[in-house]
Amino acid sequence: MQLKISECLKPEAIIMEIKAREKIAAINELVAHMVKNKLVSNGEEFIKALAKRENLESTGIGDGIAIPHARTNAVKDLILAFARSPKGIDFSAVDGKPSHIIFLIASPESKKSEYILALAKLSKLLRKHAVRELLRNAKEPKDIMEIIRKNEE
Amino acid sequence: MKFDKVLLVLTDDADQSIMPDAVQFCKNAGSRLFVLFVIEHNRIARLASLTQQKVKVVLNKTEEEGWKLLYLVEDDAVENGVWTSLHLEEGHLPQVANHYIESYGIDAMLVKRKDEFRRIFSTCPVPIVGL
Repeated sequence: MQLKISECLKPEAIIMEIKAREKIAAINELVAHMVKNKLVSNGEEFIKALAKRENLESTGIGDGIAIPHARTNAVKDLILAFARSPKGIDFSAVDGKPSHIIFLIASPESKKSEYILALAKLSKLLRKHAVRELLRNAKEPKDIMEIIRKNEE
Repeated sequence: MKFDKVLLVLTDDADQSIMPDAVQFCKNAGSRLFVLFVIEHNRIARLASLTQQKVKVVLNKTEEEGWKLLYLVEDDAVENGVWTSLHLEEGHLPQVANHYIESYGIDAMLVKRKDEFRRIFSTCPVPIVGL
């Protein structure tokens, strides 16, 4: 299956500096941003699906990265959103460190294979120290998109 | 015997039928499931040589496959209300597993091929549960 995660990320789904300081507030802020930009049809249902996962696992994968995610029919297609927190947010990461880079992934219930593949590709990409540094230092949404596009294989 | 924290170790040649069994075990036992995918360097080098591919290419594919397996387990676990924690590491399988067992205070490890894994994990400090 061919899947480019860069094609799932739109500039209007990017928050360069998120205001929230804790994880549920951050998820709410990201989802509200996506609803405002018409990327999500049902914000409440989406938040409920994300919160269900947050209660059952740590989506903080370490090295300052968190990937909250859910399969929910609140979205019509596989979508990606990005937010950056200079101060960091506690996502109960496996290494105990705060998350500065947050990627949110959602897909409809029916697109499980694409969803799993997108999570795998993104997790692999974000294990690269150089990519994390570029994302931390990017100035604009278009830079974020370009970093993802250039570095995904 | 109560196992609060259970470790499932996966590799690229793991028998994937253990994945739903591990989730069901944790659901029934009320355990938290730690899932660790280990990329073994020796095996990557051997696979690259056998398939005449670059080590980097095989490593990339293995890492992506590892994350896929981890997220598949997690998706099933969430459906079943089982708490999970996902990990991917590179190194020597028994050493990495033992490090995780100590670091996270694991109570038991789940394996499929009990005899083979008993040999691999001969120094495992916790009970090994064969599914």
